[in-house]
Amino acid sequence: MSELLQLGSVNQRPQPPKREELTLRFSDAAVKELDALRTHYPEEKACVLPGLWIAQREYGGFLDGEALAEVAYRLDRSYAEVEGVATFYSMYNTAHRPGRHKIEVCTCLSCHVNGAYRVWDYLKSKLGVGHGETTADGEFMLEEVECLDACDRAPVIQVGDQYYGPVDDAYMDRLLDELRASPVNTVVQMADSIVAVQVTGPEREAAHR
Amino acid sequence: MGEYKLLLEHSHDPAYATLAGYQAKGGYAALKKALGMERQAIIDEVKASGLRGRGGAGFPTWIKWNGIPKDKKGKHYLICNADEGEPGTFKDKQLMETTPFLLIEGMTIAGFATQGDAGYIYIRGEFVDAAKALRKAIDEAYAAGLLGKNILGSGYDFDLYIHLGAGSYECGEESALMSSLMGERGMPRLKFPHVPLPTISGVWDRPTVINNVETYTCAPFIINNGGNWYASLGASTKNSRGTKIFSVSGHVNKPGNYEIEFGTSLMDLLEMAGGMKGGALKACVPGGSSVPIMNAQQCDGAIIGYEEMAEAGSMVGSGGCMFLNEHTCIVTFIWRTAQFYANESCGKCTPCREGTKWLLQIMERIRSGGGRSGDIELLQEVCSQIDGRSFCGLGDAAAWPVAGAIKVFRDEFEYFIEHGRSIVQSAESARMLPESPVVAVS
Ligand SMILES: Cc1cc2nc3c(=O)[nH]c(=O)nc-3n(C[C@H](O)[C@H](O)[C@H](O)COP(=O)(O)O)c2cc1C
Ligand code: SF4
Ligand code: FES
Repeated sequence: MSELLQLGSVNQRPQPPKREELTLRFSDAAVKELDALRTHYPEEKACVLPGLWIAQREYGGFLDGEALAEVAYRLDRSYAEVEGVATFYSMYNTAHRPGRHKIEVCTCLSCHVNGAYRVWDYLKSKLGVGHGETTADGEFMLEEVECLDACDRAPVIQVGDQYYGPVDDAYMDRLLDELRASPVNTVVQMADSIVAVQVTGPEREAAHR
Repeated sequence: MGEYKLLLEHSHDPAYATLAGYQAKGGYAALKKALGMERQAIIDEVKASGLRGRGGAGFPTWIKWNGIPKDKKGKHYLICNADEGEPGTFKDKQLMETTPFLLIEGMTIAGFATQGDAGYIYIRGEFVDAAKALRKAIDEAYAAGLLGKNILGSGYDFDLYIHLGAGSYECGEESALMSSLMGERGMPRLKFPHVPLPTISGVWDRPTVINNVETYTCAPFIINNGGNWYASLGASTKNSRGTKIFSVSGHVNKPGNYEIEFGTSLMDLLEMAGGMKGGALKACVPGGSSVPIMNAQQCDGAIIGYEEMAEAGSMVGSGGCMFLNEHTCIVTFIWRTAQFYANESCGKCTPCREGTKWLLQIMERIRSGGGRSGDIELLQEVCSQIDGRSFCGLGDAAAWPVAGAIKVFRDEFEYFIEHGRSIVQSAESARMLPESPVVAVS
């Protein structure tokens, strides 16, 4: 008998992680939000992207293997599939721990011609980190990004769900001080905002009651 | 000609983003009217209006709406493409933030005309403010019986959902957007004629209408005032009707969104945006990063219209209009454009995945002073191998700016290769240069 037949002739997709292999960390509110989202689509698979946003919030801003496994388990998809989706999109933090604030510096066309590379240089030297790196104190991650589509404010940066621009060195000094002083984790806050806009007001209220 | 504010007329009034404020300005009159019309009559008005898709391709909107089966056998879906990612474009963002009800009303009208059951607004992940404004507006509309079951007592049911992207330019391509909406990597799907059109088999294999934010937003005006009235705007052009929002940025004094009637000249648009900043006009990318760059002579006398811009050597595209002054090094600008496409290529097909990287490598070599004779021809060769041979439009969009710039600014490329430095030398131009070699962008 050929090896393939021994394995079963149908090409089975990889199975989702088993419950006993996981430490589930979604809060009650998160579970309810995911349940609400399921009603928005004819197929549960469509919840993979919103589910990853929930996970990015629930896991403190970073999607490690456990976070991906939990999304896979809850949506009955394989781990490989969810990992494949998560790593395709640049806003899911799968490669580096983002720190408390992810500073996204646009160097794309309009920003480029409005001096964005000087902002980029300034931030790199001030924070002592490069693209995709996080400062040792875990406060800031720096990322060079493509057009944020706010070119009227070039050069533009985004931190969490807020846009800032036009920025210069003095502006960045002030902003970094403010961010350092703020108690908020803007990476988690942004993920939460993104979940909140996808569920209806009543669904959100019911989930967080 | 000056601005013609139709969609943006009330965009400076915060009350317009509330249901009461929107209705006070005549909002929802169009939906009421539409619900009393025959479905085909709505589509006929859109046909008469001459409306063409505002997402970049300029495809006649009524053909999409008309392509949805009239004998409904299952669910029909609507998608709003709000993944605005084209460098230079920021009009959909403003429309969603300031006029969310126009989009909702427009989608509900389109939904009624095509017997749609549900609509999905796919918003790029970064646009949280726009999504918040829409969330509030959709919740208000549901509470007022303007969405959901039995809208305004008409018996028509329509649900509207918000879905956020997570950072991928390619998800603006309509079939990739559908993949992403269904929970997959944002890669495009096989297209007509190999498979049926999305209007027959789109998202979840059901008939689907997909339009840009600005396209849907035009619908209430077309229904209220009639397709013929809408078509009277832009009548001086060959085949472009109505208004178009241009996002003007780059080296201008007053960057921002400017709504104009088709037939307005490009130089008038520049004047609306406060004219050039920091130096004389050198070049313009009129419709987002994907369209060919124009030099100052081409800009002079260019008329904004789909066919008219093609005659002038470029395209209307998405309306992301960047004006560049004399201190701009075109070679560096095109290098940055090439970097964008290399970063955003989804990797599905070889011509684009490999070709965009090669374009970037060659541009990087030239930009850092190591250009070789023959590099221009090599760039052209790679462009011609990508253009028309890629699986989706991103490949073409990556090739056009490079090939276009070589055509118009060949001397700058030649100078850079020969001398190892830019033809433009000034303090202002130095401010734009990336000092260090390329850093990979995620
Ligand atoms: C690479 C690529 C990116 C695109 N990005 C967008 C986009 O961000 N927004 C958009 O409306 N259309 C975008 N489009 C065009 C869409 O594929 C599609 O034509 C459009 O959504 C149709 O709507 P319309 O007819 O109303 O313009 C893109 C196309 C390509 C090839
Ligand atoms: S052209 Fe090919 S590689 Fe490029 S984005 Fe489209 S499918 Fe992906
Ligand atoms: S180029 Fe930076 S926001 Fe568009």
